[in-house]
Amino acid sequence: MTQTKLEMKNITKTFNHDKILNELTFHLEKGEIMSIVGPSGSGKTTLLRILAGLEKPTDGEIIMNGRDITKQKANRRSISLVFQQPLLFPHMTVKENIVYGAKVSKNYKEEKIESLLEAIGMARFRDHYPSEISGGQQQRTALARAMATEPEVILFDEPFSSLDPSLRQDLRYWVRDFLASRETTAVFVTHDMEEAMIMGDQIAVFEDGNFQQIGTAETLHKSPANMRVATFLGGHLILNDHEFAPLHAVRVGTQKTSKNEVSFHATVEHITYQHGRPVAHLYVNNLEKKISIPIDETFPTREVQVTIPAGSIQTFSGEIL
Amino acid sequence: MIRKKVLFLILTLLFFIIPLTVLLLQSISAPWRFHTGQGIDWGWQEYSTLFQNPQLWEATFISIGIGFAVLFINVAIGLFTGKALTPYAYRGKAWLEALLLSPILIPSLAIAMGLHLFMIRVGLADTIWGVMLIHLVPTVPYSIKIFHNSYQQIGKAMMEQPHILGAGFWTQVFTVELPLLRPAIRSVTFLTIVISLSQYAITAIIGGGRVLTLPLVFFPFLNNANTSIMAAFSIWFALIPVFMYIIIEALMMFLPYSRLPWRNHR
Repeated sequence: MTQTKLEMKNITKTFNHDKILNELTFHLEKGEIMSIVGPSGSGKTTLLRILAGLEKPTDGEIIMNGRDITKQKANRRSISLVFQQPLLFPHMTVKENIVYGAKVSKNYKEEKIESLLEAIGMARFRDHYPSEISGGQQQRTALARAMATEPEVILFDEPFSSLDPSLRQDLRYWVRDFLASRETTAVFVTHDMEEAMIMGDQIAVFEDGNFQQIGTAETLHKSPANMRVATFLGGHLILNDHEFAPLHAVRVGTQKTSKNEVSFHATVEHITYQHGRPVAHLYVNNLEKKISIPIDETFPTREVQVTIPAGSIQTFSGEIL
Repeated sequence: MIRKKVLFLILTLLFFIIPLTVLLLQSISAPWRFHTGQGIDWGWQEYSTLFQNPQLWEATFISIGIGFAVLFINVAIGLFTGKALTPYAYRGKAWLEALLLSPILIPSLAIAMGLHLFMIRVGLADTIWGVMLIHLVPTVPYSIKIFHNSYQQIGKAMMEQPHILGAGFWTQVFTVELPLLRPAIRSVTFLTIVISLSQYAITAIIGGGRVLTLPLVFFPFLNNANTSIMAAFSIWFALIPVFMYIIIEALMMFLPYSRLPWRNHR
């Protein structure tokens, strides 16, 4: 049986007349991991800060385990937040940093600290100061420190964005397994769709102060709710406010083929290689849209035709959930 | 690298070690004049003159007492005001900061004369408490500025981190803020003690001559033109902040998470 761990009801936040969050409502089950993606500056961080208790919502309520915690201070909430930077205390060693988290939340047990040190692979570096370890090690330590408080919910604010790509990849899977093995409820904020898909069971696309759609990666790709979601995913050719075509149905050629197709004139701006395949970056002149699409062969000219079988044109679902 | 070292050595010699050595030598020799044909007369008589002054020890202890009191009040005010100024930008913040700095823009003598009447009325004139209060005027603005800058350097996010983990206000102050503010505390220590110790005019006005601090004892000596006694007195004067600084440094070692010499094995 699932139980609702955390719930946000009609949360609104305004800064100097700017609505950052607009009547936001969602809930998380115990052990669920939700990714929130959205362009930078969309208010994702504000959302996390309100959940953590660092900022007060202008309106609405936050409910945890059935209790209203809207007015509770951050240090009294069983919610931890891992920031973009590790923010380890520079005057404490790796172990002291983790112990600190456990002690201030009154959850200190020596065995737990040891197992956390083992889990993050930092047992050997326990007596090092933060300035003496690498960025990835620092971020792992920060995570262990947050876990040491035994939070019921843990929030991540783009925790890997300051790390180099290969390290980021390793750490993503590591954190995911770590959270899953402890059945921790988590919210993971990122602007990277790939990261969102790896980290979350559910993905929420956040833009303009509200969720545009919440669903699995598959749902989002198969039936995006609206133009904003589709634009953010980048896997569709958006024809107008209501219609789109999935990129896998789109063909690129030098000339029009048959009649039962919609076709547009496009310009090849660039060819790059991804996952071993050439990818054409096209500018569709009539639609004023840019798309990136894998191709099989290169073209003799820069001017090409983009064709879509009429049957694969779909309309936006319009459903948020 | 070598050039830098040589430059450093020359500058320290020129501006620190040579003057200090001259001062030391002067304090243990009788005044010597060029071309009088007399040799240098070494001895401790200057110090004995100094210690014969019955008021010396009393003035020293009172000065140290006032110095510590002024320091602790400064740390308390500076810490919390500096912290309060840090997080938000709000309208009028620049004015508030200017207002907090204003006591050092107005001559403290003018403030002391103005406050004297008030102190008489509330019964603080001629008391050690009144002197402590008036010594806050030329010191508190600096302390606020120093702590404010340090808090800004530590950053808002670093201050939110312990709060998120579950630390209460005082736990956070003692476990994270004070240890990270150690350099600021050092600066404030030296600054306030030296400023407090060298106040003559405002101490004389508010203390009314009854609160005896070192400058008050020191001043009459200026007339006798005996440079050797002056040198001895200067050294005595300079030793006090150093002594107080060592005490504060020792106290700071008791802050949580200090790298104690016997604790840091690596």
